[in-house]
Amino acid sequence: MIRLLKIELKKVMPSRAFKVLAIMYIVAMVIISVGVMPFFQYLKNKFADFDLDGVDPTIIPFYEFPDIWQNLTSVMIWFKMLLGFSLIFSITNEYSYRTIRQNVIDGLTKHEFIWSKIIMAAFLSAVSTAALFVLGMITGLIYSSDISFVSIFSDSYFLIAFFFQLLAFLLFTLFVGTLIRKSIIAMGVLIFWVLAVENGFYVWSKVKNIEWVEYLLPVKSINALIHNPFPKYAFMEIQDYVALPEMGLVILWAALFYWATTKLVVGRDL
Amino acid sequence: MGRHLYKLKTQNDLETVLSIKGLSKHYGRVKALDGLNLEVKKGDVFGILGPNGSGKTTTLGIILSVINQTEGEFEWFGRKADRDTRKTIGAILEHPIFYPYLTGVQNLKIVCDIKEVPYSRVDEVIRQVGLEERKDSKFKTYSLGMKQRLSIASALLCDPTVMILDEPTNGLDPQGIAEIRELIIEIANGGKTIIIASHLLDEVQKVCSHFCVLQRGKLIYNGLVEDVGKGAVSLEVKADSENIEEVLVASKMGSAVKRERDKYIMTMEEGFTAADVNAYLFQHGITAKHLLVQVKSLEKQFLEILADSKKGGAQ
Repeated sequence: MIRLLKIELKKVMPSRAFKVLAIMYIVAMVIISVGVMPFFQYLKNKFADFDLDGVDPTIIPFYEFPDIWQNLTSVMIWFKMLLGFSLIFSITNEYSYRTIRQNVIDGLTKHEFIWSKIIMAAFLSAVSTAALFVLGMITGLIYSSDISFVSIFSDSYFLIAFFFQLLAFLLFTLFVGTLIRKSIIAMGVLIFWVLAVENGFYVWSKVKNIEWVEYLLPVKSINALIHNPFPKYAFMEIQDYVALPEMGLVILWAALFYWATTKLVVGRDL
Repeated sequence: MGRHLYKLKTQNDLETVLSIKGLSKHYGRVKALDGLNLEVKKGDVFGILGPNGSGKTTTLGIILSVINQTEGEFEWFGRKADRDTRKTIGAILEHPIFYPYLTGVQNLKIVCDIKEVPYSRVDEVIRQVGLEERKDSKFKTYSLGMKQRLSIASALLCDPTVMILDEPTNGLDPQGIAEIRELIIEIANGGKTIIIASHLLDEVQKVCSHFCVLQRGKLIYNGLVEDVGKGAVSLEVKADSENIEEVLVASKMGSAVKRERDKYIMTMEEGFTAADVNAYLFQHGITAKHLLVQVKSLEKQFLEILADSKKGGAQ
């Protein structure tokens, strides 16, 4: 496993596309982890300028333990597309450079090849989760009034859910990349699928009032694992926990994409 | 006695590096490979000859596990290919394939990880192929010759027991071709088994010990390069005589006599030499002014084999 990760890191790290996407992702993470409160402060000052003293966004406890975990993960997951692109690049490059063929000739089995990509996806998810945890701890300790052990860690399982969300989504992009094999088209299809197809079905299902459609849409199911926490600041009811059936569904999707990717790579001639 | 036989048998098994049994690959209706049977023994330099599209690359693709066969099987070293088989094989294919945005060394290190070979080998093979100066340049900046040398370096990384080459000299300049041939002979002298696919007969004749000919996915010839031209010596005769053709036929030293402008070409029967023919002609009052022994080249043989198989197919 270490060997496969080493191979994958050697392939991916020096590539410019990966560097650019990784930097964008890191910047996004830092901004979300430390920048929201200063932004609220800025809004408050602006509102004050417009004589709207009554509106004070800084009272929203965005970085307060234990809510911080659901807040951070539910925002950060929007940026998963950046990691998805980097994975699509890495898999489609293997096809366009024909290096996947050379890898197999050199001695990698097709299964090892797929696993090297999956291990990389797991590695990226784990590093993101760990980084988010560290950043969350720092800002949480700065902004929270209650820093008891229970309050800090009681909702930290959102990070585990976040890890699975990322991993499942990356397996989805791995599948799309393997299926299409051309980087630009694969990215186009990915965006089209997420924005147009899934949203289309989603809206249609809401209009027709058919609940189960959402569960047939992979990216919607993955997104739905961590519910949007922000309506609660407007005193609306939200789901402030991770539901196990939803977690099961995400893992099911991940397993399905793994199975389909394997089927494609093993069945195809290189 | 029984024990002795057993020993002989195992030794024989060990010596078979690659055995192919009834291998077929169909693309829809097209049979790229049709029931191929082959054996390659340890130490052979085995050439796979055939015109373009005859199934050479398909065969190599299958034995390297990148193409799935439709039927049949193959064994490396007497057993089915497993996850370690290809780590002991060095392959140089027509187009060198590496990550263009990585340097030569970075690319070779990935191959080290794949083949589970220590990184210390990288410098050794880079020296071996003379790529030291450009080893830290990106692969995409290499010339074709340098790319080909990097792929040789990559094939040598694991100190392979078997080398596979697919059209290894395609697209190279004469110097590059000479270098590759030298390398092949060098490796072969080290007792390694080499399998070469080529459509260049000359190349196969120069470096191979065994060869086979494929046509439209079928094996139509399999034998020793040495045997080529055996009993296929022909003699060119020129003389100022009217009845030379009759005399040559009457001598019964050749199987056929053919006129080619001002000279006659006789395909020799075994056991007769040019001297015999010369003496016979002299006895019959003919003085030959031109006698030339021609060993049939692999090229001629190859074209004959192809022609024969076409005739066979038409019948």
